[in-house]
Amino acid sequence: MTVLPITVGILVAGGVYLLCQPSLVRIVFGITLLSHGANLVLLAAGVSAWRGEPLTGTGDPADAGDPLPMAFVLTAIVITLAVTVFMLALARIGHDDDTPHVPDTGEEHRR
Amino acid sequence: MTGSLLPLLVVVPLVGAALSALAPSAVARALLVLSPLVTTAGGVALLIEHRDTPVLAHNVGAFVPGIAIPLVSDTLTAVMITVTGLTTAACIAFALMTGEARLRFFPALVLMLSAGVNGAFLTGDMFNLFVFIEVMLLPSYALIAMTGSWRRLGVGRLFVVVNLVTSTILLVGVGLVYGVAGSVNLAVLTGTDPDDPRFQLAVGVVLLALVIKAGVVPMHGWLPRAYPATSATVMALFSALHTKVAIYAIFRIHQTVLDGATEWVTPLLVLFALTMLVGAYGSLGERMIRRNLSWQMIAGVGYILVGVGIGTQLGLAAGLFYMVHHILVMGSLLLASGAIEQAYRTHQFVGLSGLMRREPVLAVVMALGMMSLIGLPPSSGFFAKVGIARAAAGLDGFDLWWVLGVLLVASVGSLLAMSRLWADVFWGPPLEEMPSRGAATSDLAVVAADTRLRLRTLAPAAALLAVSLAIFVVPGPLWDLCLRAADGLLDVSAYVEAVLAT
Repeated sequence: MTVLPITVGILVAGGVYLLCQPSLVRIVFGITLLSHGANLVLLAAGVSAWRGEPLTGTGDPADAGDPLPMAFVLTAIVITLAVTVFMLALARIGHDDDTPHVPDTGEEHRR
Repeated sequence: MTGSLLPLLVVVPLVGAALSALAPSAVARALLVLSPLVTTAGGVALLIEHRDTPVLAHNVGAFVPGIAIPLVSDTLTAVMITVTGLTTAACIAFALMTGEARLRFFPALVLMLSAGVNGAFLTGDMFNLFVFIEVMLLPSYALIAMTGSWRRLGVGRLFVVVNLVTSTILLVGVGLVYGVAGSVNLAVLTGTDPDDPRFQLAVGVVLLALVIKAGVVPMHGWLPRAYPATSATVMALFSALHTKVAIYAIFRIHQTVLDGATEWVTPLLVLFALTMLVGAYGSLGERMIRRNLSWQMIAGVGYILVGVGIGTQLGLAAGLFYMVHHILVMGSLLLASGAIEQAYRTHQFVGLSGLMRREPVLAVVMALGMMSLIGLPPSSGFFAKVGIARAAAGLDGFDLWWVLGVLLVASVGSLLAMSRLWADVFWGPPLEEMPSRGAATSDLAVVAADTRLRLRTLAPAAALLAVSLAIFVVPGPLWDLCLRAADGLLDVSAYVEAVLAT
């Protein structure tokens, strides 16, 4: 039972470390790690021991796993995937954040 | 109107978004105009309905109550849907005039945003709150990246990273709540012992995420950096929708699930008082109209949440009243600033001067809006501040005096910030005689002598302001609604019954 919390801890620590880096690509990796940690927390909210499939007709409901956290995790994964793709696009076009560099978007710029 | 019509408030804008992504531009813009009107009409219908039935609920998909996806509406929800629908309509009217509505996918993104907002107001379940907040944020990321100054790409990253990390915290909080209480349905959670420390901690993580999204000091830094870099239209939309959804969720979760957590009153009040002060005085360092206003937005969050901190019926009602006032007035000021930008191509103080003589109508609209923001009559801001002060008068002992003192000091800060904006933009020499004009080093556009803003671009701002003035003249109906919404938050039995019975 201690494997899950330790894994979550490592994932979150790595995620926070990467979030503190200046490059957006690393930040994206950091967020990916963080959301993996969050997903494991969600899974741990159900019963983390080995259970049967929560499908009707495949077994005793008493042995089945809790399907709700799994549904949560699936939703969360889809959302994170979409945002990760968007952020990678931002990383490609945006250059640096804090330098007064004007990105080349093909339009006229005025401060 | 029955509960089974509630999903329409989410489905209509969502289907509209899908259609407008595919349809020709003119059709897309027609959908864009219609959708907030439908939302507002739905909100008004709900308001009328809730005079007789306090709570309407619908379990989507007809699953067993407690497992199904509940959509719940009570007076609080109806007020929020009506006000945000109205403000969205004004922002869209402005977007049609600036030409932003012609941008590819702009209608689809705004409609999706509005679907997420309505969903977040209606949902009775913490996980769906997370989902709807994400539905609301995803189009916002794109809106930030496609409108506004060149800074938008840099701050777009900031906005995405802050909101994504916050959403992850929210998700962890929801997971913890599920682990402790075995449900994330708010109606079921009211049955959990609010004194269980594990439960308090889990809900605390959820509230932490919401507090970051609302922009409460010390987690406010992202807001004044991110919002002003987008266009005025999008900033007005975000100001009316984003932070307000988070504040609405704080109202809901703090009251119904934690029973107001009375032992935390003083720390919460300190936090929200700091928010008021930092927001009110933060404006003083800014040299652009919308950056100046973005700090006042944070101050507004403080005023609204002080109502939650006080936690009495009066406090909650006053907070809600302030929220309605703040959404309208902030929207009006931002859209007026957008009208300035539309004509003069800048919202920097250095590029603007003497607008009072040049643009008398604008000066009247902005002056009334700013007086409302400070809390002076004749505007809704006066009664909003009176309400907060009256609620604070119900606190006991030491809390009473320092909360009232902070209210006063923060209002003075707003007054200073607004007078500075007024002096720099509306007073001063006529634009042509500005020293910076014609200087080769300045990259500001030189304004032609006959440049005037088109009066119709001021219409959306004036419309929102008119509602605010109307609230000053007849504050009674709105105050009654706010009191009823506060009752619904304090006595959750009708809410629980409606959700679990359907």
